[in-house]
Amino acid sequence: MSDTPNPRSRRSARDSEGSGASTPAGDTTLTRLQRLPIHTRHPSTPSRLAVSATPRSTSRYTPRNRGAAPSTPYGLRAMQRRAANTPGRDRRKSGRGQRETVFDVLRNLSKALAPNSQPIRSSPQPPPEPEPESEIDEIDELDNEPALERPRLSLPLDEVEEDDDEGSPEIRPPRMSLALEDEDMTHTSVEYPRRATFDRDRGRLSMMSYGARLSENFGDATGFEDGSEDGDATGMVLDEDDRQDETIISQNAFDRGGDTEDLGRFNFDFNFPSPVGPAEDLDQDGPLNDDEGFELPPVNLGLNAGPESDYSDDGDATGGFGLELNLPDRVSMSESPGLVGGGLRDEDTVIQGSKQKKLSRHGIPVPNMPAGVVRKLATRFARARSGPKTKISKTTLAAIEQASSWYFEQVSEDLAAYSKHAGRKTIDETDVTALMRRQRHLNNTTTVFSLAQKHLPKELLQDMRLAMPPR
Amino acid sequence: MAATQKLYPRATVKRIVKAQANRNSSKNADILIFLDYMLFMQELMREASIRSRKAGEKHISPNSVRKVTEKTLRKFKG
Repeated sequence: MSDTPNPRSRRSARDSEGSGASTPAGDTTLTRLQRLPIHTRHPSTPSRLAVSATPRSTSRYTPRNRGAAPSTPYGLRAMQRRAANTPGRDRRKSGRGQRETVFDVLRNLSKALAPNSQPIRSSPQPPPEPEPESEIDEIDELDNEPALERPRLSLPLDEVEEDDDEGSPEIRPPRMSLALEDEDMTHTSVEYPRRATFDRDRGRLSMMSYGARLSENFGDATGFEDGSEDGDATGMVLDEDDRQDETIISQNAFDRGGDTEDLGRFNFDFNFPSPVGPAEDLDQDGPLNDDEGFELPPVNLGLNAGPESDYSDDGDATGGFGLELNLPDRVSMSESPGLVGGGLRDEDTVIQGSKQKKLSRHGIPVPNMPAGVVRKLATRFARARSGPKTKISKTTLAAIEQASSWYFEQVSEDLAAYSKHAGRKTIDETDVTALMRRQRHLNNTTTVFSLAQKHLPKELLQDMRLAMPPR
Repeated sequence: MAATQKLYPRATVKRIVKAQANRNSSKNADILIFLDYMLFMQELMREASIRSRKAGEKHISPNSVRKVTEKTLRKFKG
């Protein structure tokens, strides 16, 4: 039945004729009706097609006949004859063809006209009358409308003028609505700042991949917002932090850590909204120190090493507390030292050990990456990137330290997972290479050694080579 | 490569990893970890400098570092 609709219709016409359907040629309605049954008849047609070996029954139009003809010798002959004769002659010669042509013409006409003509016929007299009326009405309406439109044009202008004159009152109503919204905002607005701080924390938390903390943070957040605002006022607190860092690595550890461990990381900083006053003074001093600090990274390193070992309770208690209190939110945010220790420090905070003891999730104190090393790396890469004179302020360094502490936490967890999966109890070089491969740092063209050659000094390279002989 | 005699305190890196992972690291794994850390710092500073430059800052601001931190950390998620 792959034939195009037209050939089908022709066949159907012929079929109807052969079956004697040709009787009432005059009934146009019947012819129309016949179309539908004809279509249904088509499925039955295949029998005729089989019979169609005879040239007459088969119409050239259908591809099937052509395909079927070669199968039988009669068909071949018929095809040859047809090819010899022009199709037009065959049609003309055959009486059926003439009859068909007449019917076909009529049917084609009916087909062409039927869709359009029927609605018209069905509603010749009655509907036409109302329709024209309606049309007329519409026209009238249209005519009327333009008149209306003109006044409309004038109206808006008037309105504008009115607005100008009365602008205040009209404008007010929208304001009223806004005001209502504002009121709603006011209700919620109180919480928004809190939420904002939470969201920041959440971002960090998400990085840390601790889902549970958020809820906990909410409770804590209320507490530290107050403090955070105060702390924000004193922008420079960082400097002091740096000092503390030198002495005591985990300054923020002071925070109340008592809360859940996870929460503790971020909460700590916030929890200490307390007094800001002393911190400000320190802050002012801080900036000067920053510059100095820049030049003296090695000194910082030495200091860092000292404090870690010492866990200076005395010094930290005095200096660290004041600083931490001052720095509530921002310190946590921008200034890494607190944040870095944060999660781990929660437990520590209880101890007051502050910086020195940040406890990991496993309860093991975590040392900080020495600030001097971080600064050295940061300045190196920053200068390679944006010029030889770029400086990294202490606040920036604090942010970098925080990022690096997060990095170590994340990497350590990944490495632990890899080694555990491998059934080992120690983190192996292969774990690190697997990690780097997953980080897309290693691929077929880049090996650990090429990276190491690029970044590491020779001595370390030597050690690395010994540890993992090239395959 | 201003790698002075001592590029980084190896013991510190080892301790950090051990504390965070609760596992010991093999003898020289910390070198690779530090190498990865250097890559992280490189990426972090690259992103931060790009961001600070876009913001028209003269030097890298802590804010730009903070904004970039999450993205960079995610890149280094194994």
